[in-house]
Amino acid sequence: MVSLLAHGALGAFDELIFVGVAVIFLVMMGISWIRSRSTPVQPPEATPATPTESAADDAHFPLE
Amino acid sequence: MLCAPSPAQAHGYLLRSIPDERATLERAPVRVQYWFSEGLEAEYSGVTVRDAAGTVIATGSVDPTNPTVMAARLPPNLPDGAYVVELRVAFASDGHVIFQSRVFFVGAAMANVAGVAASDLPVSLEIVWRALVLASSVLLFGVFALYSGVLLPAWGNPVYAAGGLPPRVMRRLSALVVVALVAAFAGNVLALLQQAMVFFNADLGRVIAQGLWGVVRAGTRFGDVWTGRMLLLALLALLFAASWRLRDQQPEIMRPTWAASAWIAALLLGTVSVSSHAAGALMLPWAAMLVNWTHTLGVGAWAGGVAALALVAPVALAAYTGEARRQALLAVLRRFSPLAVVALLVVVTTGVYSAAMWIRAPEQLATTYGGALVAKLAFVAILLGVGGLHFAALRPERFTRWSAPVARLRDFVPTLRLEALLVVVVLALTAVLSATPLPQPAFLDETIPPPSAAQTVGDWTAAVSVTPGEPGINSYDVVLTRGATGAAGQVVRVRVTDPMRDWRGEWLTAEDAGDGLYIATGDEMRRAGDWWMQVRVGDTQLAYAWTIQADPALAQAASPGIVNVLALAGVLVALGFAAYPRARRFYHRLDLRPATVTVALGALLATVGIVVAAMIGIQASQAQLETQISPPPAVVNTVLPDADSLARGAVLIEATCPAWRAGQASFDQFVQGLPRLRDEDVYRAVSEGWRELPPCETGLSASARWDIVNRVRAWEPVG
Repeated sequence: MVSLLAHGALGAFDELIFVGVAVIFLVMMGISWIRSRSTPVQPPEATPATPTESAADDAHFPLE
Repeated sequence: MLCAPSPAQAHGYLLRSIPDERATLERAPVRVQYWFSEGLEAEYSGVTVRDAAGTVIATGSVDPTNPTVMAARLPPNLPDGAYVVELRVAFASDGHVIFQSRVFFVGAAMANVAGVAASDLPVSLEIVWRALVLASSVLLFGVFALYSGVLLPAWGNPVYAAGGLPPRVMRRLSALVVVALVAAFAGNVLALLQQAMVFFNADLGRVIAQGLWGVVRAGTRFGDVWTGRMLLLALLALLFAASWRLRDQQPEIMRPTWAASAWIAALLLGTVSVSSHAAGALMLPWAAMLVNWTHTLGVGAWAGGVAALALVAPVALAAYTGEARRQALLAVLRRFSPLAVVALLVVVTTGVYSAAMWIRAPEQLATTYGGALVAKLAFVAILLGVGGLHFAALRPERFTRWSAPVARLRDFVPTLRLEALLVVVVLALTAVLSATPLPQPAFLDETIPPPSAAQTVGDWTAAVSVTPGEPGINSYDVVLTRGATGAAGQVVRVRVTDPMRDWRGEWLTAEDAGDGLYIATGDEMRRAGDWWMQVRVGDTQLAYAWTIQADPALAQAASPGIVNVLALAGVLVALGFAAYPRARRFYHRLDLRPATVTVALGALLATVGIVVAAMIGIQASQAQLETQISPPPAVVNTVLPDADSLARGAVLIEATCPAWRAGQASFDQFVQGLPRLRDEDVYRAVSEGWRELPPCETGLSASARWDIVNRVRAWEPVG
């Protein structure tokens, strides 16, 4: 196996796992990018995302 | 002071040494061996052995077949006296280098000779770069997470296309990102320079002038992690620069770019965990690293968020006064508070898990590491107190008893600054902690002697030891004496057999190390269980039975205690608590009609069934392959082929096997074919005959037949 990264005494699958984690995070980054781009900045009257966030939504203060 | 190369003890431990520290040996050893808890950088590690006069008598290096072992071959027949072994150990996972020396004596101990223990103090320059890298990574994650999770939902205004926040706020956030990026790059560069300094034992000028840093970057594991971190930093810098450069032409990309950058910053924090103490954990290393990573993410969200908020709030609120300013601040704090509470819960539980992993006894708090930990916890407690006041101030209706002190926090900004200052102190102490050697676990002090036994046949005595005596590569040491003196110059062969599988290894010719010591090395003992070993000296054969334990002779792992289990459970509960809102949202979005649930459950069960069936199939295939390669014998040899068995076998052959004589064509052919025959084949030959060779007499007991098998096997030609 080609060594990309190495992490001491963690076993033979270090490379695979670490590269796998990096790939997952980069994918999540892409998803986050797309979602953030397609979601408008929340206006003051927007519906809260969850019931627990209602208090925070009441406190939305569009900064000038 | 910072420019002087200063090695320190590291994450790894010396697990075992032969000879032991301050051991007094009757016989001069032919080598010194040291086993460590993790792999070493071969290029930067070494052993030097000196005699009492300081003359170098031997040097050694990392075992090419096992990077956790370092050894040096000693010259034969060392005279009586004291010997000092100097160890230079570069651990691969984090690049920490230790210097220490150990002493052994041949003949009699000498009181005035002592080794030098490794320092347990952190290195100044390492503290600096670790603080820079940790603080900058935490700040980067804090800024991006705060922007996406708090500032934008609380202060977002569609009027501002570039980022959704007023330009003055975006400029301040960008300034924080730039500062953090510069600090991170600088810390990483310092890290490489410091690492090269300790690897090459060189000062900063030589490291730069001779380009030694490049050797470390390209040729070590530390360099691998360093490169990964640099790539992530470069990616972050690139995205940030692109979003800032295009803020006028394409303002809509700034927000998604910053949101996505939080994930890169999370990975960046992961690289810190990779080179943290957790990477060398003796207990569940993967769990330790994941917990450490979760800890740093929690710190990033909480401490990084507090720091970013404290630095952004004054600029953001500059345009407001009075109640409007307070409302604007409350909008953010009410968003940030739940995030901070969750992050705090994660930080505390993961911190308890990590601390319980390294501090396993109260007396370990008295070590340098323990002191640094206590200091960090003290400041964390103050930080928690300030955070608690903020929490109460945001919910005055729930904390009426604390109305007086809470009322003083109406402005929040000064206490946010205090909180940010405390964050800096805690991060600095964390860097000290990360660079400080860990206390040595008590269980590593337990000495587990390697399996050893001695046998005498005639005037030969052979004492054999298997080192380290665990499944895998072992060294077979044979000390051969004739009468009372070591018998050098003999041809000594060693063979390992597995009686239960009727498998025999090759005959290994042991190296004559002088003074009657013969050494062979092999990986025949690949599993725990019973093994036999035959040693041949000329025509004399000695046999030994070993039981190789499943537990490693080298204690490389610690068993989790109740505190560790509870701490891990706490971590899982905290993560569950953190994930609960999203999980709940996800649950409410699910289609829970009976038909859908039935199909989903069916698919799940089918998937699990397929996976289980596949695993069973793979295991069965492996077992079948192993059986084909080495089928289990129909009959198992239960008699150790020692001298007594061979003597009994010779008598039995003489008495009951008249055709089994040298010179008889069929018997000679049988003996020539022995290397290809298993013991069960020979046993069958004794009972039923082999080709033209008639069987021995009937009525022999099983053990008598095995004695014959052992005797016949001793005639097997040695290649």
